[in-house]
Amino acid sequence: MIVEFLWSIVIISILGATVISLYGIARRPSLIKKLIALTILTDSANLLAIMVGYRLIYPVAPPVLPRLTEEGLKEFLATAVDPLPQALVITAVVIGMAVNILIAFAIIQIYRIYGTTDVRKIAKVIKNEGS
Amino acid sequence: MKKVHAVTACIIVLFVILLSFVLTSLNMAPETEEVRTLGKFFLENSYFGDYSAMSPEVVTSILWDYRGLDTIYETSVFFLAIISSLALFRLGNTIESEKHSEDSGPGLSFIVKGIVKLVSVMIIAVSASIALHGHLTPGGGFQGGSALAVVPLLVIVAFSKFALEDLGFTKDRAMVVRSLSLVGIALVALFPLLYGAYIMQNQPIFPARIGGQLTSGSLILYNIFEYFAVGAGFTAVFLLLATPEKIFKKLLGVKKE
Repeated sequence: MIVEFLWSIVIISILGATVISLYGIARRPSLIKKLIALTILTDSANLLAIMVGYRLIYPVAPPVLPRLTEEGLKEFLATAVDPLPQALVITAVVIGMAVNILIAFAIIQIYRIYGTTDVRKIAKVIKNEGS
Repeated sequence: MKKVHAVTACIIVLFVILLSFVLTSLNMAPETEEVRTLGKFFLENSYFGDYSAMSPEVVTSILWDYRGLDTIYETSVFFLAIISSLALFRLGNTIESEKHSEDSGPGLSFIVKGIVKLVSVMIIAVSASIALHGHLTPGGGFQGGSALAVVPLLVIVAFSKFALEDLGFTKDRAMVVRSLSLVGIALVALFPLLYGAYIMQNQPIFPARIGGQLTSGSLILYNIFEYFAVGAGFTAVFLLLATPEKIFKKLLGVKKE
């Protein structure tokens, strides 16, 4: 019972972090803070994927064969976690990192040109330049 | 911290605990004691089994063998993002040639420089170990390459961008290493076609053991190429990020400070 309760707390916390990061992306005016919220969103999504592959048993092992013998395989199957979400998450982590670099470069360039990362001020400057 | 923030934090924590209590009492938490059928297939087959990738590391065998095309596309997304970043920060040739004259200042103390020299060698050794053991232990090309990219970052901070460039690690050379590694990945992926096998097929084509050492066929080749590609890609990005702000300001024609 207590294990299920703690497990639920972890899952709900991750969902909560997702909601908070969505708020940050939508409502914070600074581009830097939007980027930080985006990284939190990526990380909570990845963590959720890892949780889906986890097993609530003891002992639990990583998906790496400990011994290269046929006898070890049965024991390994009884304890190892699901490897597929981990493989997908490492893909997502690398893509997330690359996209973060691109966004960070764009933000730096915006800061150089407009002197601010506040989206409201940038919009005002662009409007003034247009008219 | 403002009062409003503290109250909001308390409400969120209470909400989380309450909701998990409801979830537990209604017995709605997802069942996670068994591995799904697909996961079980990978666990059984990665080393033994009929569809073996000859690797005890199941995650790496999924990454570069069972779902290898996913990883190929992921690598292309990664390098498109880096190319776009480089395009955003591109410098004209004239400005790049005169930048060296602005080099000045004594730099950090000899303690920092000495430690960086020591640690850099260790980081290179550890990252190579992460990449080369990617088919045996947790790790692989991406992780090793990311660890390797810490070295240019440290050198840029402790010495300078120009010190790194004087050693020969320029942006253009990093791009060449990166492109060669990508070509290597593509060649390893296409090589099985010569034998009438599928694209990215691993096992009967590549030798599983070389000199008695387990190499898991193509997995070690992919890991090595990815290691250099990721390390060089990040080096190029860090070199551009370390370019003095004055140069960009001049290039963009920004007048205000």
